[in-house]
Amino acid sequence: MINDYFLLAFKSIRHRQLRSWLTIIGIVIGVAAIVALISLSLGLQASIEEQFEAFGADRLLIAAQGFQGPGTQSEGITDNDVAVLERMSEFKTISYGSARPGEVEFKKEVKFPSVFGGENAKELLESTTDLADGRYIEKGDNTDVLIGSRVANGLFDNEIRIRNNIRISGKEFRVVGILKPVGNQQDDNTLYLTLDAYREIFGETNQVDFISAQVKPGVDVLSLQEKVKREFERQRGDKNIEVVTPTQILEQIGNILGIVQIVLVGIAAISLIVGGIGITNSMYTTVLERTREIGIMKSIGATNFDVLSIFLIESGIMGLVGGFFGVVLGTLISLGIGKFSTEAGFKLLVGVNPGLMLFGLFFAFLVGMISGALPARQAAKLKPVDALRHE
Amino acid sequence: MKTEKIIELKEVWKIYKMEEVDFPALQGMSLDVNKGEFLAVVGPSGSGKSTALNAIGALDVPTKGVIYLDGKDISKLSESELAQIRGKKIGFVFQSFHLVPSLSAIENVILPMIFQGYSRDERTKRAKALLNSVGLGDKLENLPGQLSGGQRQRVAIARALANDPEVILADEPTGNLDSKTGEEILKLLKSLNKNENKTLIVVTHDDKIAKEADRIAYLADGKVVDVKNRS
Repeated sequence: MINDYFLLAFKSIRHRQLRSWLTIIGIVIGVAAIVALISLSLGLQASIEEQFEAFGADRLLIAAQGFQGPGTQSEGITDNDVAVLERMSEFKTISYGSARPGEVEFKKEVKFPSVFGGENAKELLESTTDLADGRYIEKGDNTDVLIGSRVANGLFDNEIRIRNNIRISGKEFRVVGILKPVGNQQDDNTLYLTLDAYREIFGETNQVDFISAQVKPGVDVLSLQEKVKREFERQRGDKNIEVVTPTQILEQIGNILGIVQIVLVGIAAISLIVGGIGITNSMYTTVLERTREIGIMKSIGATNFDVLSIFLIESGIMGLVGGFFGVVLGTLISLGIGKFSTEAGFKLLVGVNPGLMLFGLFFAFLVGMISGALPARQAAKLKPVDALRHE
Repeated sequence: MKTEKIIELKEVWKIYKMEEVDFPALQGMSLDVNKGEFLAVVGPSGSGKSTALNAIGALDVPTKGVIYLDGKDISKLSESELAQIRGKKIGFVFQSFHLVPSLSAIENVILPMIFQGYSRDERTKRAKALLNSVGLGDKLENLPGQLSGGQRQRVAIARALANDPEVILADEPTGNLDSKTGEEILKLLKSLNKNENKTLIVVTHDDKIAKEADRIAYLADGKVVDVKNRS
């Protein structure tokens, strides 16, 4: 019986092809938007997680807390704080450094990429990328520079190669290493110096922007985090220093992404609602147009329930067909954006997500049914004589 | 021969509520129809012919009065019970054929059987046989738009027979056909009446049809004013 209803509904949709397709397009757009947006934000999440995973969870990240409000004095991190960590036995490597935009000149062309000066930066860099050419900088290499992939190729008109000289804030440096692409613009557009060289050209004495301290194997990161916090508080006499683990940062990013996701899907849902109203509208028109047909069906024995079912299934099918094409389109769009974005230097891990596709299909079918509910009810309630008399 | 009543109308009223006034289409109409007979219902327009046919066919319920179909009072049934009666006991043939335009000839004939839950094989077989019997064995897959008026009415007659009803109700079945095609359709209806013992009620303006009937009921102002046996 129910397959017969499907067949009847399908025939009727096919009978008024143009309008059916126009109606279906409304659903296609809504579903495509939802699928593409969810898929892209999942891809974004995956990329961020991947970067953090490479970074490793076995470390503490330490940075000065932001402005605390009027009357408070926010003291940044200094070499003294690094020394506090160095006195502790739980750390394997302590990397630290500062970064700011710097004036970089190569073959008379001046740009302002990010300049990073750090100690033990090699350990940080190795976790996210590899050398494309040359070597890392060691302590004391105060006239050498290591550059990100986009600094080498893309930032300046001319490609920078190993042993080329570049000027940073007027001081000359020799390029000793070039990194492979990390996958985000920020890192790939950075130049790496020793902390001493950095302090010299920017006139800093002992400030440090951040510390990334890798924990020895077997040490519990969370209890060490508490210990480090207490130690800083005791040494500095304030709480202006923030100590977090990569996992905690990832959770924070996850929360923000979650909100962004809700907003995006909300926007996409609006277009799906518009698509649903399109179905309602089309189904009402159909009920009007086919009033006589409804009368015919009733005159040959169709019950109200039969008529209701046929019309509901009809709108459900339109939703489903729209959902199918929407899912396909949305997936293609998100894959396309993912590819484009990765090529442009921002890695997005967009994949085909069967669960999301099924959800899109089911949701579209549901929207179709709900949109068709009122018109179908109206169709079912028509009195056979009145319906037959309808011109 | 003992005559058995299949339809009885007793003092049936049908009053349509208009915006300002009520319009009484049937005004205490009483009529008996015998099983297996061919009854013609004639009368001027507005005399209540179609309203009476709709009430007999369970398409509409009377405002007042009782209608027995095969011994059962159908004047106060619910919509789903009425649908059952329409599906099982009645076959309708309309002036303007009333085929579903998106369905082929055979699908139109199958449709009433779907609502009665016939199996796929059974209804396909039956629909083919019915269309063969009305001479359309070669037009099974044609859409109504690809058939002539006479052919469409044949499909409609085949559809009316789909659930093997006892009563066939025809409302001006030849009204939209030329006279030659009309005669053929009438012949077909009559053969159903004579050979398959279907009770046939035809509402008509056409004297030629009326003359073929066993009895003629004359309606005026929503009442039967005269009933004549065929001379």
